[in-house]
Amino acid sequence: MLFPTITFAAFFLLAFIGNWLLMPRQRVWKPFMLVVSLVFYGWWDWRFVLLLALSAVVNQFFALWIAGLRPKSTSAKWALAAAVAANLGVLGWFKYYGFFVTSAVNALDAVGLNANLPLLRIVLPLGISFLTFRVLSYVIDVYRGSLRPASLLDFSVYVAFFPYLAAGPIARASEFLPQLRGPRDPRNVDTARAFFLIFGGLIKKMLIADYLATSLVNGVFTTPGQYSSLEVLLGIIGYSVQIYCDFSAYADIAIGISLLLGFKLPDNFDRPYTARSVQEFWRRWHMTLSRWLRDYLYIPLGGNRKGRARTYVNLMLTMVLGGLWHGAGWTFIFWGFLYGGALIVEHARVDKRKQRALVVQRQRRELAAAFEGLADVAPLPEGPGAATARPAAPEPALEYDREPWPGVWLPRLGTFAFVTFAWIFFRSDSFAAALDVIGRLFQSWGTIGAAVTPGVFIAIAAGIGVQYVPRSLWQRGEAGLSKLNPVLQGVALAVGFMLLDILGPTGPAAFLYFKF
Amino acid sequence: MADDQTRRDRRRARAQGPPPESAAGAPPRDAGSGPGDDRRDAGLPYGRRRRTAASALVAMLVALALGALFNAPAMKKTALELPFGSERSFRLALVDPLASVSHWLFLDRPAKLTAEALGKPDPGPADVPAVVVVRPTGQPAGEGEPGEEPDAGDKTDKPKKTLQEKPLPKPFKGHPMRLYIAGDSMMGLPGMALTNLSNKTKLIKPKLDYHISTGLCRPDFFNWPAQLQQQAKAFHPGAAAVMFGANDNQAVQTSSGKIFQFGTDGWKKEYRRRVEDVIALLYQGGVRRVYWIGQPIMPESSYNNQIKLMNDIYRSVAEKTFGTEYIDTYALLSKNGSYSQYLPGVDGETVQAREQDGEHLTYAGGLIVAEAVLAAVKKEWFPKKGEERSAPPSPSPKATEEAAPAP
Repeated sequence: MLFPTITFAAFFLLAFIGNWLLMPRQRVWKPFMLVVSLVFYGWWDWRFVLLLALSAVVNQFFALWIAGLRPKSTSAKWALAAAVAANLGVLGWFKYYGFFVTSAVNALDAVGLNANLPLLRIVLPLGISFLTFRVLSYVIDVYRGSLRPASLLDFSVYVAFFPYLAAGPIARASEFLPQLRGPRDPRNVDTARAFFLIFGGLIKKMLIADYLATSLVNGVFTTPGQYSSLEVLLGIIGYSVQIYCDFSAYADIAIGISLLLGFKLPDNFDRPYTARSVQEFWRRWHMTLSRWLRDYLYIPLGGNRKGRARTYVNLMLTMVLGGLWHGAGWTFIFWGFLYGGALIVEHARVDKRKQRALVVQRQRRELAAAFEGLADVAPLPEGPGAATARPAAPEPALEYDREPWPGVWLPRLGTFAFVTFAWIFFRSDSFAAALDVIGRLFQSWGTIGAAVTPGVFIAIAAGIGVQYVPRSLWQRGEAGLSKLNPVLQGVALAVGFMLLDILGPTGPAAFLYFKF
Repeated sequence: MADDQTRRDRRRARAQGPPPESAAGAPPRDAGSGPGDDRRDAGLPYGRRRRTAASALVAMLVALALGALFNAPAMKKTALELPFGSERSFRLALVDPLASVSHWLFLDRPAKLTAEALGKPDPGPADVPAVVVVRPTGQPAGEGEPGEEPDAGDKTDKPKKTLQEKPLPKPFKGHPMRLYIAGDSMMGLPGMALTNLSNKTKLIKPKLDYHISTGLCRPDFFNWPAQLQQQAKAFHPGAAAVMFGANDNQAVQTSSGKIFQFGTDGWKKEYRRRVEDVIALLYQGGVRRVYWIGQPIMPESSYNNQIKLMNDIYRSVAEKTFGTEYIDTYALLSKNGSYSQYLPGVDGETVQAREQDGEHLTYAGGLIVAEAVLAAVKKEWFPKKGEERSAPPSPSPKATEEAAPAP
């Protein structure tokens, strides 16, 4: 069931009514929300529902087991390891089986061994990567003692909650479960922001992402030989815009419909193409994944606490595994490797400045010590001002520029160029395909053909420009909508839907991140 | 009024205490504008008001009801495009009255006028009937193309050769053979692979034209006959590679209005006529060779049986039509006669040949099909030195005019 469909509209209307009517009766409300979510998920394939149920039961078992053990004891560690292995095992089976088996078969074949490994047809359950990270956050938080195990029903609702089920945001158990504890006030719904997010998401998805995909991007990435260099360049930039508008649209709609149901989900995007460094980009792009990787992978690996070399290794590992999380393929791994490398370069620059600042600080300290020594040899005159003459001043904070690159616009442009270059590998089916696209950039500096319509330029400009619109402008818009009579709000939305229907593509297209 | 609401919000917030999320853990550091930002909850920016769930319901109901009336013609179009059957009838029974009310209240006009103003197609049902009767007439459009040898026998009493029976012109750099690649979504990635391989030869100029969810059964959804005529006229292809059928496992309507369910004798007859029409239209547009790509083996047995039935028709028509070759992807994409998602790729390595849905081809799978088509093209259009051009693919020659149904 895709968001921009009449089927989903009807489904959501029923879910919305049931949610608010039943919310005061917690015993009925939670099963209702669970059933609604399972219907949503089962709409794609009923077999997926079994996976959700299994995931909820198994992870609840692990959480209760871990909670019953002495905190952070060896047994608890083993139980956690078993939980992580079970979840990653399921993810690996569904998502990486084909990748690993074909890689193994081809590698063995290359050395003359004919491995007859079973190549099974495995259907990838929708949003399994998101599901895995959600449930792992629950089990790990229970292990860490920052979260007490919830009831199986509460945990099941958290696992299956339909707005974020297919493509995030990756709400943590510690953020979501408390919202199940008590009913919200039905007189206190942030409807204007919800409508803004939903409608804005539909515009981004239907008018920008899908338009760019069908008019230029898909063609450029699959048949680059048909396009001139300039068209290929526009197609590559177009993909940067497409993936942002597609993925952030899903997140916006998910957050919006959750708000209407009285739930708050964390933001997933914060104008990523305004970032001035790759570090900043990852603080703004897929934010819930970034902080998941930071808190559950990078920091447990040692973070930056074990020296510079280990920090860089940890950065690279985190980004490569983050790349692999996105898809089963060498191009995804390379995509993560590119980001790992970029983060290392940026950290190295900042670390160098920090080293210089430390040297200066040490020199200051030595000077201060020498000064104190001199003062001891020739004591200052005694008197009322003596106490203030040599104050024991606190050491000033270490001062150095923590931004990897100087300036504003050049780093922005550079970061966007790097991110766009990395997307080529993310989008391409293989290295050969990615190199074909890159090679085409230098092969045919012809004119711009029919594929690049004025609409393409408008869509690219809109997709990037929307990230530079001051936040206050959106907030004013939301405030304006919130003051309208509900009937007028409905009329405004209806006119908007009509325009989307006329201007948008024929038929809904699945969101890009569904396959992750 | 806004101030009253804000005061009410503040009173309520004081009465309820901090929201439960604040106890759950800090919101993401960078999510300053996010819904998890409790600072804004205390006082929403620019006086934004929270509303009741009931008012949200009113807004949604109005939006959906009015939106449905505005978009009623488009909804009717969608319903009409569904496969003939009970679901289509049910949807039409719902949408028809809505479309009437919309028209009566002039609520269908805004969408129509806006579409007109923006140069977009009318959102309502198209005028194309569910059946298109093709009546190709006259000489093939490709007669007398630049670079073609004049036919010495034109003025004699010998039976006139059709365009397909004449020797194929030899493509050379600067004068490539134009290959038109058309079909439904199944043609997507194979078509892209064929396009890339063709470009590499520098002697073939490809044009890919695929449209998802289309087929030969429902020209009212997508009018392939019209599309083929238009593309042949615009692109002047020398050859065409086509692949249809993935969406044709549905009923067809004949010109007399009769509907035949899939697989019945009437269906087979009508579908065969449409397949012949495609070839006839391409020939009429100057196409000398048609490479009809059959559908590959499918994972689900009932769908696979339907595919086999359609493949039999394609194969049979191709065998009886001069200049048309059937490319058997069913065998090509099988492993020991059975379905497999993984197959040896063009370079011998094991590749995932099918997408996650098990049906559509991946690029690697598409390359297998593209190589087969290209081999067939090369065999005829680029014979190796010392080799005669291979005989036309059909054992039973059938001229352009004969390939078409009688007018």
